[in-house]
Amino acid sequence: MSQAPLDSAPRSSHLDLWREQSDQLVRQAKQVTRNSDALRTQQQLAQDALHGLRELLHRLRGLPATVSLLPLELTVMCNLITLKVSHTQGFSEDQAQDIHQGLKRVLEASERLEPRLDYGLRELWDSVLRCSSLLPELLPALHHLAGLQAALWLSTDHLGDLVWLLQMLNGSQSEASEDLLLLLKSWSPPPEGLDAPVSLQDARGLRDVLLTAYALRQGLQELTIGSLPRALSSLQEAACGLCSRPVLVQVYTALGACLRKMGSPQRALLYLAEALKGGSIWGPPLLEASRLYRQLGDTAAELESLGLLVEALCVPQSSEAPQLLIEVELLLPTPGPDSPLRCGTQSQAKHLLASRCLQTGRAKAAAEHYLDLLALLLNGWEPRLSAPPGPPGPCMPEVFLETAAALIQAKRAQDALTVCEELLARTSSLLPKMPWMWEEARNGAQQPIQCPLWVSATYLLQGQAWVQLRAPKEAVSEFSRCLELLFRATAEDKEQGAASSCEQRCRTDVVLQRLRLAALISRGQEWVASGQDTRALQDFLLSVQVCPGDQDASFHLLQTLRRLGRRDEATALWCRLEAQTQLPQGDTPRSLPLYLETCLSWIRPPDRDTLLEEFRTSL
Amino acid sequence: MAGAARRVDYLAAFRCPAGGLAAGRPRVLGVGAEVFLATGGELVYVYDREARRPSAAYAFPGQVWHVELLVPRRALCVLCARSGLFCVPLAARSRSVSRAEDDSKDSELSPSVTPVGRDACVLPDATLCAFTLLDNMLVTVAQGPATWKMQLWEQPWAGLEPRPGTQIGEVAFPASAPPAGGPGEPPATCFLPVLCCVSPPDPRASRSPLGSPGSFLLHGALFGLLFGADATLLGSPVVLCGFPDGQLCCVVLKTLVTSRTAPGDPRTLVRLLHHLEEPVVLIGALRMEPQPQEGMHSHADCLVALGHHGRVLAIKAGRDQAGNPVPELQESRLPGPVLCAAWGRDSRIYHGTPSDLCVVDLAPGVVSTDPMKPSLPPLLCPASLRVCGVTALSVSPGAPEEDTELLALSAKGRLLACSLALDPTVACPARMEAALASRKIQDLLSAISNVSERVSSLKKAVDQRNQALTRLHEALDVSCALLSHQRGPRPIVCSTSTAWSCRGLHEELTATCRLQNRSGYSLGPGWTWCLQVLASSHACQLDAAAASTTYTVPVQQLAPGAQREVTLSLGSSEDAGANLPTTISCALSCSLREVMGGARLPPDLLPTQEGTCLPLGVHTVDLLQCLRFPGLATPNTQAARRAVSPADPVDTFLRACQEQRSEPGGSAALRAKYLPPSVASVRVSAELLRAALEAVHAGVPLCCATLQWLLANNATVDVVRAQALTSVQGVAPDGADVRLTIHEVTVPDLGPTGPIQAVEIQVESTSLANVGQAHHAVICRMQTLVEQAAQGSRPPDLRVQRLRQIHADHEVLLREVQALRERLPLEDEASARATAKQLLEVYRQLRSPSLVLL
Repeated sequence: MSQAPLDSAPRSSHLDLWREQSDQLVRQAKQVTRNSDALRTQQQLAQDALHGLRELLHRLRGLPATVSLLPLELTVMCNLITLKVSHTQGFSEDQAQDIHQGLKRVLEASERLEPRLDYGLRELWDSVLRCSSLLPELLPALHHLAGLQAALWLSTDHLGDLVWLLQMLNGSQSEASEDLLLLLKSWSPPPEGLDAPVSLQDARGLRDVLLTAYALRQGLQELTIGSLPRALSSLQEAACGLCSRPVLVQVYTALGACLRKMGSPQRALLYLAEALKGGSIWGPPLLEASRLYRQLGDTAAELESLGLLVEALCVPQSSEAPQLLIEVELLLPTPGPDSPLRCGTQSQAKHLLASRCLQTGRAKAAAEHYLDLLALLLNGWEPRLSAPPGPPGPCMPEVFLETAAALIQAKRAQDALTVCEELLARTSSLLPKMPWMWEEARNGAQQPIQCPLWVSATYLLQGQAWVQLRAPKEAVSEFSRCLELLFRATAEDKEQGAASSCEQRCRTDVVLQRLRLAALISRGQEWVASGQDTRALQDFLLSVQVCPGDQDASFHLLQTLRRLGRRDEATALWCRLEAQTQLPQGDTPRSLPLYLETCLSWIRPPDRDTLLEEFRTSL
Repeated sequence: MAGAARRVDYLAAFRCPAGGLAAGRPRVLGVGAEVFLATGGELVYVYDREARRPSAAYAFPGQVWHVELLVPRRALCVLCARSGLFCVPLAARSRSVSRAEDDSKDSELSPSVTPVGRDACVLPDATLCAFTLLDNMLVTVAQGPATWKMQLWEQPWAGLEPRPGTQIGEVAFPASAPPAGGPGEPPATCFLPVLCCVSPPDPRASRSPLGSPGSFLLHGALFGLLFGADATLLGSPVVLCGFPDGQLCCVVLKTLVTSRTAPGDPRTLVRLLHHLEEPVVLIGALRMEPQPQEGMHSHADCLVALGHHGRVLAIKAGRDQAGNPVPELQESRLPGPVLCAAWGRDSRIYHGTPSDLCVVDLAPGVVSTDPMKPSLPPLLCPASLRVCGVTALSVSPGAPEEDTELLALSAKGRLLACSLALDPTVACPARMEAALASRKIQDLLSAISNVSERVSSLKKAVDQRNQALTRLHEALDVSCALLSHQRGPRPIVCSTSTAWSCRGLHEELTATCRLQNRSGYSLGPGWTWCLQVLASSHACQLDAAAASTTYTVPVQQLAPGAQREVTLSLGSSEDAGANLPTTISCALSCSLREVMGGARLPPDLLPTQEGTCLPLGVHTVDLLQCLRFPGLATPNTQAARRAVSPADPVDTFLRACQEQRSEPGGSAALRAKYLPPSVASVRVSAELLRAALEAVHAGVPLCCATLQWLLANNATVDVVRAQALTSVQGVAPDGADVRLTIHEVTVPDLGPTGPIQAVEIQVESTSLANVGQAHHAVICRMQTLVEQAAQGSRPPDLRVQRLRQIHADHEVLLREVQALRERLPLEDEASARATAKQLLEVYRQLRSPSLVLL
């Protein structure tokens, strides 16, 4: 290596100058981390530091690559990458480019081989690390760069490359284990010299972050695919590592979720309590706690934790001073829909709370929560809080319908009517004019299909509200409107869409069937109440036709037949019913929308068993 | 808008950055009596319309890309290139007016410039490309490393001091093509994303319609169709974003979240509505259908996007056959390119192209056709407002009864206010006061002069185009006529004759070319007559490239039957002789650019091809045409020869010798003794000649006829004809004597039946070069003669053996010539001289007429 006459006095004095400049910029960036007074000045300072480092790097790259220059250049580049990644909160193609360029410079300095143009990052690392034994001065800087490369590969899920790189760095390529955790642990970056340029985050710091991030990542992944014991060990590994408080909260939450699924709720509770003590992020542990209580059957505690969750999400997350470092969070993938680290927005939590209240029979609370939710969604102007329940949850019209159902359940029929009117006003323009078909919707939106369902469900709920308000005339007319709309639908199976849409259609079919059933029985009940048994009989007969196996419909029919004195038919029906009840209940109820479930619960005949008994004895 | 009356006021002129305003991103924004404008540089001006002068100017650290006014706070939001978003509180208006009155006149157009520093920057982000203001939020679009990114911020100016905003939502556009230019750099094109905010009508009508110009209230049905039931029920505003690559995307604002604990999926948050396939310039919403009720608030029922090249996309709510509501997409075109555009009232779009400012009403296109299935015409015809070069536009929102006022910024930096009366009959009150009337008359007069100016300029343009078309037509006619008469007599002929003329002391050979137009068309401007004179090189420089000169003569106007002459100099007597034979090629060329040049056509209509070139013919000037015959000709040429031709140096020398040695016989005898004249001869079968010349020279003895034929193009031919000469002595251009002798001979041993009657043409001159040239000229004529005779006549009977022998003899001689010539340059002087002599001898033998042309 040509420690050439080029590296003479003036050159090294320049080098010192640049080093001083680099150190100054790094110190400035660190200063930003400490002071957290004005966010804007921080941003400005960070921008300035970025700018300065970029300029400096540009200047250094203009010089021929030499061994005396490269440690500084690589450190400046590493600092720049760290700053950029933490500033933009993520890795991008730029960083790969930067590393690529840095490695090429090292190869240039080593004068060993001309780097081929088409070399990828892996090939470059291979050449650099092979010749790096000849350049001991460069080793600390190279390990620093390797740490950044490892972070990049971890964040982009290139685990194979990462294992290979660590094996190269550890120098034990032949019979090394494939275990990344082990490899990371055994990687010991050489200590930097006392006179080395200051770095923002050195190789050892990076290694610790990588270790925690990898363990947590691995644990979350295993938790998702369901290999719980391995997830537990990975997460425990992560908990042992160096992590900031927010990360620790995440680790504990994940541990709680893991233990809950493994069937040790008490230990899970301990971890969740620890997580809640931990710090500023309460959302995920609270949601996890509610799941745990639900599993334990402790509804009061479950609803309490959900209530706390709603309150916790109301508080904006305290924006701590931005750490201008690469942190564990940056290396984690965005949590999937079933990740324990996801807790949704306030409105989503509120919906969960309200629907749980409705499901567990707390109608009054449910109605209140639903009304709060609607207010939040319609008037709230902060999407952070009021984003609607996402695709896994119900869509907005269904939230309205659930609200109306909860209000009726809570005996607030008038309020329910208001909500229904609101919904109708907003969706009526989307309603088809002619008989509508189950046709695949274009543009990926299923709304044209769903819209008639929502509207007819609204009519059904309005009818039920009128029933509650003792206005049979209005109720019957609403039920009739509902039925009219429902029977306009003609199932059209001309095209087979994708699997998901097929499933969707299946569900839509079931919903349509149940809606018809509910509307027919509801109207029939109204006829019964007004003493028009023949009309009721018609509706109940139709309802049995619509849903042949449905017991509720059969019971209503049985009752009416008996009342009308049509004994033979009643006996035949009773025999069928007896046979059905003898059979095990094979037809498990499919998941129906909550509003429909609630509706169906209203039309269930209250005295089924007594009726059956009576019938049996009368026979 | 047929009846639209308009009035244009020039308000002020502003400094124009280099490259004109169109190079930057000029903006103009009128709010009340104030106009905010950016001319594409770093300055934002505030113009006070009441004081009719700029009241303030703000200098930003970077090029200004976008300006919006935060009305409730009286603050200016400015997006600066590569710097971020700035928020500047404006000075109170009353103060600026009072200052205007105090200030002296000279500062009228240069108000005090207030520099805006970094501390006013509310969003320092170098990648920001567009923003729009919403009730209390800010939507920005930034350029990410690979895609565009939309961010939603809390109002950064909520407090007294602008502070950095808290980000409350973010989404990256997934399907977006990577923007041009690297990360951190501005897009390479001059197009930025365009934003527009639409909201559903609030059934409770608690919120007033959004005040911002980029916001629209959309009809419920269309809104629900496009953005879904969730957005409708939430009453969430939707931001439409049009990108330079033509994508039109929408984002429901209330679904945007940034929280890590509730990340949103870009695929569900962003929907691609359409791909316009050209940069999106403007997005907005219009009211297409007539208002249902007077006084009722009307919501827009049609979403419209406008592309840079004039593509218009209109999205309306419709129903398919089954009655399901579906969005109806219609595409149409406006004449582009669209530099700027703005929404007018109801269904009008104002847009500026480089040449005009136009208004188009989309509604009639929808209403006039089938009302059941309304559609836009494929090409919209906008009405011109007759203002050109508008680069930025803003429409002042006015009450429906008032006139529409447009604020425009012209490409030269002038701020115009253009007010349009909806209907002139309504706009013009029945009775008016005197002052008002005089004002009105003034306006009318200025409008009339404006219009008449425009009319005259348009008329001129039309005339020019008509002329160009006529010329083009003629050019096509001429070309057709020339090209279709390849064989027969041409409608346009170029003939050449040569003459000697005197210029000062020197005589020179001139060729007179005559262009005759015998066709029925006239040649106009754009036609050029090209004459290429190609001189053959010297005999001794066989390999040297021939020199050529091209003369181009513009044919200004050549009516049918007219002719034009051009006389070219072929050189003075010395060099003209050396250049013989000279070829003159004539051609007519037509330049399309010149034919159409008069009309100011747009550059893309101008022909890419230069034009056409039509060859007219080739003429050869050889020695026979240039010979002068002092013995025969008119006295003046004789005199000329004496006066001009310098004494032959050989003659002078011989005369001197004679005087010294006093030898008898004079110089002629000496000459005959020492310099025997070179001779070349050609024998032609008498039968052949007679057959060829019978038509023209009937009744003339064959030898005389031959001589007349040979000298046909010479000026002396009449004399030769009159005197029935068979031999002439002429003077070559270089002054040497040339003698042509024609006599009949019999060739005894060639014919099988007996001797063949032949005519021998003998060329004799003291100058070898002249003999060569004359011989060549004779041979050339013979060639054409033989070619003519060869058609149809049977080959004469000949004794083949004799022919072969002659041929073999010639072959031997030619080989000898070749050998000698190859030897010549290799030898020293003495032997070279011998060789040259030998060569001459062989040449002489070659020239001896042993063959007869039959």
